[in-house]
Amino acid sequence: MLDFLYQNAGGAFAVMLVFQVPFLIVFLYIIYLKAYKNPSPSDTKAATLSQMEWAWLGLVITLFLAFNLLSIKYMPQIATARVEASAAEIQDIDVSAQSWAYQISDRQLQVGRPVRFSVKSVDTVHGFAVYHPDGRMLFTMMLIPGVDTSSIIHTFTEPGTYKVRCLEYCGIAHHAMQDALIVAAKP
Amino acid sequence: MLTAATAIQRMPLLGTMFSIDTSTGLEEINSWPSLMIMTSFVWLAVAGLLGVAMPLTQLLDMQSNLFYTALTAHGAALAFPFLFQLMVGISLHRAASCLGKPVTGPLIAGIYWTMNIGAALLTVAVLGGLKISYAVMYPLPIVGVETGQWSMSVVVLGFTGLALVLTSMIFLYPFQMIRMLFFGNVREDLQLSPRTLNDPGMLGMAIAVFVLLVMGIPLMTVATPVLLGLYGILPMEMISWATEPVVFQFVFWIFAHNLMEAMAIMVVSALYATLPLYLADGTRKLYSDRIARLTLWILLVTSVTSFFHHFYTMFPALPATLAYHGNIMSWGTAVGGALTVFTVSATIWKHGIRAEAGVMAVLMGFVLYILDGVTAIVTSNVTWSFQLHGTMWAAGHTMAVLIAMALMWLGVFYHHYPVLTGRSLNNKLGNWFVWLYAVGAAGAMYAFMAAGAAGMPRRFAAWNQEGWMVYGVLILLFGLMVGAALVFLARDLWQAKALGAVQQSNSS
Repeated sequence: MLDFLYQNAGGAFAVMLVFQVPFLIVFLYIIYLKAYKNPSPSDTKAATLSQMEWAWLGLVITLFLAFNLLSIKYMPQIATARVEASAAEIQDIDVSAQSWAYQISDRQLQVGRPVRFSVKSVDTVHGFAVYHPDGRMLFTMMLIPGVDTSSIIHTFTEPGTYKVRCLEYCGIAHHAMQDALIVAAKP
Repeated sequence: MLTAATAIQRMPLLGTMFSIDTSTGLEEINSWPSLMIMTSFVWLAVAGLLGVAMPLTQLLDMQSNLFYTALTAHGAALAFPFLFQLMVGISLHRAASCLGKPVTGPLIAGIYWTMNIGAALLTVAVLGGLKISYAVMYPLPIVGVETGQWSMSVVVLGFTGLALVLTSMIFLYPFQMIRMLFFGNVREDLQLSPRTLNDPGMLGMAIAVFVLLVMGIPLMTVATPVLLGLYGILPMEMISWATEPVVFQFVFWIFAHNLMEAMAIMVVSALYATLPLYLADGTRKLYSDRIARLTLWILLVTSVTSFFHHFYTMFPALPATLAYHGNIMSWGTAVGGALTVFTVSATIWKHGIRAEAGVMAVLMGFVLYILDGVTAIVTSNVTWSFQLHGTMWAAGHTMAVLIAMALMWLGVFYHHYPVLTGRSLNNKLGNWFVWLYAVGAAGAMYAFMAAGAAGMPRRFAAWNQEGWMVYGVLILLFGLMVGAALVFLARDLWQAKALGAVQQSNSS
């Protein structure tokens, strides 16, 4: 469940709906009721509204804390630090981005072996986004020229061809700035 | 003043819709705001056509250059000379009629001309080849010259236009608002609805203009030497500190992020000012002014440093600590949003509301604003940002916040229109406008978000990959629905009847 929520953009979409749908139903119902059905003043007591105010604030803060605290484990920065602290053998891949292509030190990767992507741009702002073979994005990195390399560690769990795309607009051939990584199954 | 009124009258078609009421002696608060609002509608038409052009270039498999031209010009026209100018026009009219201060003089003319001349120069530069998106993407403008994508002359022209637009937004408009809020004598003949800074509606205005001024100064500090370097007035080696991409990116996002937050604070304050006027029991009071003011302070404090969420994915250059700080602050803004939801809901629940088009536009705009706020906090969570940053999710968030705020301001405009022009709008046409707009905007927003969750990149002229075109078709269809809504608004403005005639027909 948590893996789906935090490792798949579909999880982000689901969380968005968790917040939006109740708001839409309740708020639109209040407007429908008090604008079209029965616009007369409500006899709800001030104390009741005050209690609801605190309950609402408590619910919102609880939900906000829950979703954010649970996400810490999945932050790429935390995942990177965890792998670096372990004894796992890390494959280092250096990437240089320049309009409109990537220079990648090695495109052959392996399932289960952590890969440290160290990526930089040499001309303008570029992105380095890696896509799962099923089309969803695994992660993206923003590269500003003159800044030290952006770097995260990712461990691929499935074999296949992973597309690489630039997600930072970089000029008239931005959409053509693509590449691919080949992830092989464990030998 | 007279120049502004004359300019409105001479404008074909729109002149009829926006000509000011000269029978009330309020020309000093009506003329310039009406001209600004009218001009913002011209830019809205430009932005709308360019917005439709983007999916069309993809559906018809046209040159990618056309897509990137439309992308740059659409974003720039929608954000600055349309929405910001609409906000300036209406907020100046609000401030003037609440504070009893005239909206006349060179500063007002400066706000108008720098915004519109600047936006026109930027548009000419884009049509001349400069394709940098509304976010500038520095150092892309210079790299584009080096790689032969466009000429240095269009960069100079575009940057000159941007500098004028920013001068209007960062200096002239805040100076004028501060002048009206804190200086000068009250003219009772102009004061239609007296208010003070204790009123949440006025407090939000004051907070917003200080945010624009303070958060914009770093950008102007960097942009001014860059512009002087481009003109050849300063040697480039003298301004190398300002041309560092990371410097420009940070000052740009400190401003651009807080520009949106300032506009949000301003529009929430407009909601707080407008909603009580339409309560069914005539009490004209919010559920709680205290909570309303608290909300504005929460929005201010949390929004200032939440701009870090634009940089999460450049780890480790942006340390994890700052990334998580941005995460917390971004979600903190939503606490302010949640309190606003409660204040508005409780106010309506307690007092009932009159179902008039203007306040419905404000409320449906608020619904869109909250829906968009949810998309914003989701993508400002560090973990999700790595999967959504740079996708259509981010583009959809920007689009949704702009059109949500636009609908809220248009609702406030419905309220101000009779004072501005002496004419009244039709509630039935107004309701068609509001509901079509709300459904179209929400549909477009969900299409953008679904596209982003599916990994579709933003600012990307190849929608035919991975089955993404379906999202483009949906965006086009819902965008056309918003366009149809605006046709109802235009028809309403065109057919507006003189207030006396309306009263006569009501009594007969």
